[in-house]
Amino acid sequence: MDTTQLLKGVLDLAVLAALRDGDGYGYDILRRLRAAGLDEVGDASVYGTLRRLFAGGFLNTYVVPSDEGPHRKYYGLNAAGHAELQRSGKVWQGFASTMDDLLRERETA
Amino acid sequence: MNSTAQDEITEYVERVRAALADLPEATRAELLEDLPEHLAEIRAEDTVTLTDRLGTPEAYAAELRATAAGFVGGFPDPPKRRFEPLQAARADVMKVLGTADVKVGPVLGYPKASDFLRLLRPAWWVLRGYLAAMAVAYFLDAQSTVGLLPRIGNSTLIALVLLAGCIVASIALGRRRFELNQWKRVALYGGTTVLIFFAIGGFFSADSDVRDPGYNDVGYSGGGNPYDYIQDVFVYDNQGRLVPGARLFDQDGQPIQMGNAYCSDESTGEVSHTRSMGYPYCPEAAPFASPAPDATVTADPSEPAEEPKPDPAPTSASPSK
Repeated sequence: MDTTQLLKGVLDLAVLAALRDGDGYGYDILRRLRAAGLDEVGDASVYGTLRRLFAGGFLNTYVVPSDEGPHRKYYGLNAAGHAELQRSGKVWQGFASTMDDLLRERETA
Repeated sequence: MNSTAQDEITEYVERVRAALADLPEATRAELLEDLPEHLAEIRAEDTVTLTDRLGTPEAYAAELRATAAGFVGGFPDPPKRRFEPLQAARADVMKVLGTADVKVGPVLGYPKASDFLRLLRPAWWVLRGYLAAMAVAYFLDAQSTVGLLPRIGNSTLIALVLLAGCIVASIALGRRRFELNQWKRVALYGGTTVLIFFAIGGFFSADSDVRDPGYNDVGYSGGGNPYDYIQDVFVYDNQGRLVPGARLFDQDGQPIQMGNAYCSDESTGEVSHTRSMGYPYCPEAAPFASPAPDATVTADPSEPAEEPKPDPAPTSASPSK
C-alpha cells in the first residue's frame, strides 16, 4: 500500500491538525507536515487543500507583509475549523482503532 | 534573488496557469494566488530547479486541481487533449532534451545546459531585433538582396535607425513576454519561427555570395557557374587555325584555369593526362577543323579578311605580360 493513497483521504485532517498549534503560511504548514513525518505530501496538495478548506469556511486568512521576502498569506483555524478538526479527528481515531483491531485479530488468528 | 531565478518562477507560474486555463478566471486566480511566494521560498532555500523539486508545472497544476476540487462545486476534468500522438511525441522529445540538458551542462561549466542558455537570452533578443530589421528591409527594399545592414533605398541612416528600433523593441518584448496573452504569445513564437527560417535562408545566400561573388550576377536560368560544363578550350586565330599551347590570363595576369587536363582516346577509350602545356588539352578533339597551312584567306569564308597575308607558320600564342 502506498502512503500517498492513504494521505489523500486524510489530507484535510492533517492540514487542520497542523494549524491547531498556530497560524501559518503555506510553506510553513508544508514544513510542519513534513516535520511530523508526512514526507510524501506534495507541495501542490497542501496549497490545494488550504484553498479548499478556506473556501469551505474552515479557515481565515490574512497577509503579512515582509521586508526581505515575499508577502505571506497566513491561514488559521476559525471556530468552524476547530469544530471540524474535533469531528474529523474523532472519525479518524475511530477508523484507525478499528483498523488496528482488525489487523491485530488477523495477526493472532 | 537574481533575475534568472525570478524568470524561472515567472515561467513556472505561467505554465501552471496555462494548465489551469479551463477554470473560471476567479477560481484560477485564487488557486495561483500564493504560488509565486511559495516558489520564491523554495528557490531561496534550494539550489535545484523548481521542476526538479516540484515536478513539471503541469503535474503541479494537476495536483492542485485534484486537491482543491470540491471547493465551489468541484472542478471539471481538464478538456480532453487534442493531438494525443503529437503530445506524446513532444513528451518523448522533451525527455531526450532533458537528458542532453543535464549531460551537456557540466561540459559548459553549469549544472544544466539550459542554465547557460538562459543567460544568453538577452543576446538572443538583440539578435532577434537585428533579424527583424533585416526582414523588414528585405521586404520593403526593391533590390531584395541581403547585405549586412537593413538598408532601405541604400540609406545608411535609415538602416541604423531601423536596426536600433527593432533591437530595442525586441528586448522590450523579451522582458515583457510573460505579460502577453496566449494568442499574442502564439503570434510571437510563430513570428520567431518565420524569422529563423528567413535568417537561415539569408545566411546561406550571403555565404554563397561571399564565396562566389563573380558568377551570381550571370543570369543563367540554371544558376551557378555557366562555365562549369567546359572541359577544354580551343583558340582559333583569325585565319581559323587552331592555336596550340594557348594560355589564358585575366586582366590581373592571373592564369584562367578551365576544364580538366585529361584526354580520352576516341578509338581505345583510354584516358590519359594531356601532354599539352596549354589549351587545348586535347587538340585532336577540336570542334572545327583547321584549314590547310597553305590555305588562303578565302578558304575560310566565315572569317573576315583582316590580314591580307596569312602567316603560314603555326602561331604559338604567348601572352605579353
